[in-house]
Amino acid sequence: MLPEALELVVLAAAALVLALAFAPVPTSRRGLIAKGGAGLAGTAAVAAVPTFDLALLVLLALAVLHATIEGKRTLASRLRAPVFAVALLALGALFARVQGPDVVHRFAAVGLAAGLAAAIGLMPYLHPFDPEERIMSSPIAWLAYIGPAVAAVMVADAHGLLNADTSAAFAATLIGLGLLNMAWGSIAAWLTENGGAAWRYSFIADWGLALSGFGVAVTDGRRAALLIFFTILLGRLPLYFASRGEVRGRVATERPINLLVAAALAGSAPFAGFAARVLLLRGATQLFWPLALVLAAGMLLWLPSSLRLGRSLGVPRGRQAVGVALVLAINVAVGLYPLPLLAAARL
Amino acid sequence: MEVAGAFVAWLGIFVVVLADGRYGLALGTLLAAVGIAAVSLPIAGPTASAALAVGGLIASAGRLVAGPPGWTVMPAGSTPRLVLGVAGGLLALWVGLAVTSGSGAGLRFAVISMLSLAAARALSSDSGPVVLTAFGLLALAVGAAAGLSGPPHDGWPYLAAATVAAAAAWVPLRTPRAA
Repeated sequence: MLPEALELVVLAAAALVLALAFAPVPTSRRGLIAKGGAGLAGTAAVAAVPTFDLALLVLLALAVLHATIEGKRTLASRLRAPVFAVALLALGALFARVQGPDVVHRFAAVGLAAGLAAAIGLMPYLHPFDPEERIMSSPIAWLAYIGPAVAAVMVADAHGLLNADTSAAFAATLIGLGLLNMAWGSIAAWLTENGGAAWRYSFIADWGLALSGFGVAVTDGRRAALLIFFTILLGRLPLYFASRGEVRGRVATERPINLLVAAALAGSAPFAGFAARVLLLRGATQLFWPLALVLAAGMLLWLPSSLRLGRSLGVPRGRQAVGVALVLAINVAVGLYPLPLLAAARL
Repeated sequence: MEVAGAFVAWLGIFVVVLADGRYGLALGTLLAAVGIAAVSLPIAGPTASAALAVGGLIASAGRLVAGPPGWTVMPAGSTPRLVLGVAGGLLALWVGLAVTSGSGAGLRFAVISMLSLAAARALSSDSGPVVLTAFGLLALAVGAAAGLSGPPHDGWPYLAAATVAAAAAWVPLRTPRAA
């Protein structure tokens, strides 16, 4: 198993444990264990299987399992995105494997990148989102829980399928997708009217950074992507979980805790997001320095949306307050000393 | 054999594109599964291709017992679907035979047409049985595509594809929870 993917599966397990320990009282813990455990097992299976084709088939099985969870969207609307994603990924793999002109292999790179975006949930309009829907049955499960390990596996497999020239095209497509998602995710998270939708767009913005990290084909880029995934799994996801009650009640508060949460979400020092951003900028500078300028400008867009999301958390009390404090502490620890996390993934 | 199998696979997915009723969807699934199994036979061997056929047969049986009743092939307003099926088939034929080269042209055509038309069908329908049928055929096509990866070929992708396709057809269809 790819060490990076293994670590992301472990981080997803830690996110599930956090959710179980600090979930609001009305949440069904038994349901959370069953559905979260099934998602975790499926994600581990995607990472563990030896070939790309098997990974796609496990992804399909995971998609149909997810679609059967009771929820507010129809089965057809929930299956649409994974079906489209797997079709694109399979077509991309096919074009990478067959003999033909260069343009076919470039189509392979585009297909693999677009399929990855669709699988995670970054294609607009393909993943209808209802803020009132439970996290486990909503597209957030793909964006924030299953997606990181799946993306690590798909990117590694895609580089294995493509030759040097088309690998560069794949990386460039990922950077393009990353910049696009950074921009529309962070602006939409700032300006959208609905608080729940703002959280969803903020995940998309984070994915923009991660895709850019994968596209910056130097070690620092992959390190940045791993740290971004860490901030998604053990930062934004638990905070979103904690904010759910407040999002529903539309409570906005401006206490010090809200500012701290906003700083963590925006990737300020000393939180883990800051280390990820520094690594990404360093990698982009090594690759092509104007890209670092564009990325730095894009990173500023996190500020307004993070302040808004921080306020939407309300004032956590009881076990939720402990959970939020723990999440912030973990993010500070990894932000100050990310080396063990990176070393575990052999990066 | 390869040409006939590829044509039958396209015909099967074409029927799925055109049909809304359970009989039409089941027939399309069966045809596509038999076609993709036949076209995989020279590369994957009898056991793996039999797995694809059996997976398709179970999926077809599952569709026969659940979904909108009747055949409902080419209901009113299905001209765009007809055009999609024919144009998608022609495009897959061009890409599989003329643009790409090497052995396994029939398999390439069958896989490209099944992947693209199944995805198009899933994107264009709001019906659970239709999307699950497209889902099953997509799984079979992904399994068969493993034959294009070059030797050595093992049977796992075929077996996994057959399992996913067969299981998907028996997924219970629920109505979404209100509020």
